[in-house]
Amino acid sequence: MDLGRLSVLCVMAGTIALSGCGSVGVKPWQHDVLAREEMQLNADPLDAAINDHMYFSKEASSGGRSFAGGGCGCN
Amino acid sequence: MQLTPKDAPPKAQIARRRLMAASCALLSAGAARSQQANIAPAGSGLLEDWSVDSALAYYHEDGRIHAIEPVVDLAKVFADGKSLDFNVTFDALSGASPNGALTSHAPQTFASPSGTSLSGSHTYTTGPGQLPVDPHYHDDRLAVGGSWTVPVTRVTQVSVGGKLSDEHDFVSATVNASIARDFNEKNTTLSFGVNDEYDSVQPIGGAPLPGSDYALFQKTGNKSKNGVGALLGITQVMTRNWLSELNISVDRFTGYLNDPYKITSIIDSAGNTTGYVYESRPDERMRKSAYWENRVAWTSQVSTALSFRYFSDDWGVRSDTAQLHLRWSLSNRDHYLEPSFRWYRQTAADFYTPFILSTAAPSTGNESADSRLGPFHALTFGLKYAEQLADQGSHVGSEFSARVEYYQQTFDQTKPVPAGLQGLDLYPGLKAILVQIGWRF
Repeated sequence: MDLGRLSVLCVMAGTIALSGCGSVGVKPWQHDVLAREEMQLNADPLDAAINDHMYFSKEASSGGRSFAGGGCGCN
Repeated sequence: MQLTPKDAPPKAQIARRRLMAASCALLSAGAARSQQANIAPAGSGLLEDWSVDSALAYYHEDGRIHAIEPVVDLAKVFADGKSLDFNVTFDALSGASPNGALTSHAPQTFASPSGTSLSGSHTYTTGPGQLPVDPHYHDDRLAVGGSWTVPVTRVTQVSVGGKLSDEHDFVSATVNASIARDFNEKNTTLSFGVNDEYDSVQPIGGAPLPGSDYALFQKTGNKSKNGVGALLGITQVMTRNWLSELNISVDRFTGYLNDPYKITSIIDSAGNTTGYVYESRPDERMRKSAYWENRVAWTSQVSTALSFRYFSDDWGVRSDTAQLHLRWSLSNRDHYLEPSFRWYRQTAADFYTPFILSTAAPSTGNESADSRLGPFHALTFGLKYAEQLADQGSHVGSEFSARVEYYQQTFDQTKPVPAGLQGLDLYPGLKAILVQIGWRF
């Protein structure tokens, strides 16, 4: 991972981490929008799994959102 | 990273939302789950019924592989907050698979994986100007997986899982464990997980000796590979309508990492094919990736999921991926359209070569002509439609969906080729379509 991209990602991670101590975030009674199905990080797990399998078998990269294990001899 | 239990089933979500709306105390899913666990009737044992998520996908490549893939996922949330997930996947693949050899002006004859000579019945011939593909590719795969998630405190949960996948020439077993902890009034979640994978490679006809002459059929018995990985994630509620997630992951695989059916053409300076060798990849691979996803609800009808991924490995592959899903809810939020777009680009592995020049010095390292290790970019265009069906007794919240995706790879190879190969489509890329229907209840 080159240093430029790594730096950007570190800044992103730092921003998110620090934001946990700052003004971002919401009160427990303000989760109405976040409770929507489409706001869940894995809202469509089967779609994601089928796509991950397709990309795993056709590209050299995999993983990121979850573990990169293929469980498939296709690549 | 999804270290929380599988998303609660739609039925549960609807019931939960109604309960929360009634109490005017909208809480996070995890908090709600804990709260519901507390109010479950004593001795009921169960809070939720099984929820079912199912899909049937058809994948078709232009002139190559096609596959049918049914998937079923069963999930259950117990009264004490524990959850169980179980899934089954079946793949039936058939068609023509590229063998790695270079397109030529002359016919080329290859042995099927079970063949032991370049003549006889276990062979196939590719015509002039055609991409060499094994036209008899066929495989079936059955995979089962499961996970068990337990809340150990009000803000901490652990999960363990595993997966077993079996196909004709490959068996894979994976186990994983993870822990997630909420902070900052559940606005921040830190998670960490590890996984271990063991694969048994059982090639038809045996595993070829990497880098060996294709015509000599130097093959051995089964091989194996191992992989271990770790993933560190942070999820942050940014605002009332913005959720962000960042994952950093690393894994390392060792063992037999070759594709046993891939070969590399040897050509002379005039572009004539003089022979082939089996590919030879390194026996170690370290991969790293960073993944950043943002989900934003712009209005009550429109939301987006935008993600970026940077990937690199010690084979020299670097890739960038950007993906956007836009969900547009229609009428009373009981159905929606979701167009999607994905852009992907990768550099070639250091040892990737579309061919070996016979005049070059003998290679002492690794080589592969597998186009998946070459330089290319890819685009995916998708559209999904889903509709929530009316309440039908116990099937509250059932959803039917259909989607279609078009995937196209374009090669970015710039390596000069001998004049004799001019005019041939050496890097044809790939075009594929995916059609899927789904039903969950």
